[in-house]
Amino acid sequence: MHRGADSRRARDNHDGRDVSRRSLHRWSTLALALGALSLVAAACSSTPTAAKKKTQKTTASTTTTSPAPTTTSAVVAAAPTTTTAAPAAHTVATTPPKATSSACSTSGGPLSAACDTQSPSFKASGAGANSIQPFFTRVFYYYSQANKSVSVNYSPAGSSVGVTDIEQNTVSFGDSEIPIKTPASGTGGNIVQVPVDLGGVAISYNLPGVAAGLKLDGPTLAGIYLGKITKWNDSAITALNPGVNLPPTTIVPVRRADSSGPGYDLDQYLIDTGGSTWTGSAAGTTASTKWPITNVGIGEQLNTGVAGFIQQTPGAIGYVEYAYSLQAGFTNVALKNAAGSYVKPSQSSIAAAGSQATTLSATNFNIVNGGGAGTYPLANFSWTLLYQKQSNTSQGVALGKLFDWVTTTGQQQATALGYSPLPANVVALAHQTLLTLENSAGKALFTS
Amino acid sequence: MSTTLLEEVPPPRLSPVPGVKDGLQRRWARPGGRAYAILRWTGATIFAVIVIGLVVSLMASASQAFGHSGLSFLWSGTYNATKDIYPTGIYIIGTLITTAVAIVLAVPIGVGTAAFLSELAPKWLAGPLSVLIDLIAAVPSIVVGLWGLLVLSPVFARHVEPFLKKIPVLEWFFHGPAYGPSMLLAGTVLAVMILPTIVALSRTALASVASEDREAARALGATRWQVVRTAVVPGARTGIEAAVILAMGRALGETIAVSLVIGNNNALPHSLLAPGATLGSAIINNFGEANPGLDKSSVIGLVVVLLAITALVNIGGQLLLRRRLRAVGATT
Repeated sequence: MHRGADSRRARDNHDGRDVSRRSLHRWSTLALALGALSLVAAACSSTPTAAKKKTQKTTASTTTTSPAPTTTSAVVAAAPTTTTAAPAAHTVATTPPKATSSACSTSGGPLSAACDTQSPSFKASGAGANSIQPFFTRVFYYYSQANKSVSVNYSPAGSSVGVTDIEQNTVSFGDSEIPIKTPASGTGGNIVQVPVDLGGVAISYNLPGVAAGLKLDGPTLAGIYLGKITKWNDSAITALNPGVNLPPTTIVPVRRADSSGPGYDLDQYLIDTGGSTWTGSAAGTTASTKWPITNVGIGEQLNTGVAGFIQQTPGAIGYVEYAYSLQAGFTNVALKNAAGSYVKPSQSSIAAAGSQATTLSATNFNIVNGGGAGTYPLANFSWTLLYQKQSNTSQGVALGKLFDWVTTTGQQQATALGYSPLPANVVALAHQTLLTLENSAGKALFTS
Repeated sequence: MSTTLLEEVPPPRLSPVPGVKDGLQRRWARPGGRAYAILRWTGATIFAVIVIGLVVSLMASASQAFGHSGLSFLWSGTYNATKDIYPTGIYIIGTLITTAVAIVLAVPIGVGTAAFLSELAPKWLAGPLSVLIDLIAAVPSIVVGLWGLLVLSPVFARHVEPFLKKIPVLEWFFHGPAYGPSMLLAGTVLAVMILPTIVALSRTALASVASEDREAARALGATRWQVVRTAVVPGARTGIEAAVILAMGRALGETIAVSLVIGNNNALPHSLLAPGATLGSAIINNFGEANPGLDKSSVIGLVVVLLAITALVNIGGQLLLRRRLRAVGATT
């Protein structure tokens, strides 16, 4: 009893003495905390991600003024949809084409870029592949600049998330690097798959003193990802690269910790070319978006995680979407293709891979390890998933027009970001697929 | 000693309002107490239903995985993506190792800081410092994880890990290539995250040690440090242990921050510098993209295992604390 009262009194005295100075302490604390936070911020601003964002912004502003690359405009001009309203290249980003309202009613009309401005107010939501994010961010931004009524919110959570979300009808569209099994359907009925971009997967490495274009083939890459080749000066690598002075650095293979489109492409390539080294291991013979060998090397989340790790780790090698590799300025492997030549990823070598897809469809989508001397072996089309029956007619029309723009005029943005414009036959496939969109009554949304 | 709680005793009619019937006055007085009792029981029932419902629904979702591989689900040493088998044993070991590293790092620092704040620090420093520590608790785990990945990881790869490898005795713990992402880095990030819990709770425990105990020690000629060591910290031992158990719970269950810095490697770690995986990191890496069926069920199985481990740690901690309290009660 006595003891408790005593200590309480002592504490009260203690507090009372200090009450006047307490508010001062609060403020000094706040100042200290802010100082610490700004220090952390300063430390972070010098990190790769921030730097990357900066470069992205600058490239974004420059491409709008620079003239379109000839290949791009050629492909776009060849597209059947743009013939009606072929806008001057790149002016479209700021000045949308005007059209007469009679031709472009919200309940239908032709599916053409001319009708873009007629889209009703619509906030589209999408989820899916992380690899396509730089492209989508850019084209959706330009589209909403030209069509103020339409805005798109894209969540790059991964292809599988995109598939699940569209199947459960929680987004307006999904996107997957690998098309889903046909006939595809979800809670909202039939799902149609539209090819929207052509990208490649870079095998990037961080090896100070070794220039870009280190040559690797399937069995060597399989050996690295199985943990059998552990040093950069391993005889398997030096044999492929005579004259290159390779250091005895330990190889740190980096892979995606989540399942991914790039992982699927590389798995498919290694199954095709890695021989029994790969297929005889736990990897097996069926390509999967889940990386099959997870007990070797480092796993990182998304392209950004893999790219960040490669950037800060000498000796690292990993697979990232070429767009991310280009942004980060990585040195990339020249990979042996089906014709036996070693090719680095580039806009033209990825385009060469895309041009092999003469009979592309959602079931015949694989362009990994395609033929042709200049073909880069790791490439794929990204697929946007839409419900064929759009329950809301005006939103369905807006979505159709949005993706028609993305697959035609929007393709001009591809090159600068490290993607390749869609070949004409793929643009036609996208157009034909979008024409199958229907309203809830089963009536076609667009006239051809 | 009556066990009746205060609110269950009918309120005494201290000053009856003149002119109003007795029974009416009692009825007016009682509903409050009754409503509170109902509220209390509803609250308790809701909590019980939530916990039981959580466990039952998780078990139901995981039953396919347990039915498929039985108790070997708890080990399943070989991973195969196409067969949807998760190396649960490796995840459990990774979880325990990272938590142990976090505790080993955070407890001495946390208790030391708490002792400094409550016993030694001048007032002008103690206030701001404790607010700063509380601020760490307010930082979302994704932020701590990104900081670990972008700032700590390069520092660890270039300086900390090569340094640790050179220390002769610790070689056994620290060998192999230094990548950055590792068990050690994950444990360090976890230590940062649990530090505020340990400091705040330990500080409360230390402050509640009676000042007579300090005075007694001082009267016996103890120095400031000896007072803290012999009188204050032993007196607050139960509270500090409770703090550590609570912190351990957080370290065991952390997902996103760990998955960013651990390297996500499903191999048995041979060293603290090796990358690994924990239950939490495996869940967050796999759940979003798990295929329906056995795959998803297996991931939920990992959740059940994590829940079981956390529950075991908590129940064990509670038992320990209860025994300690009983022992303390017996001596006084």
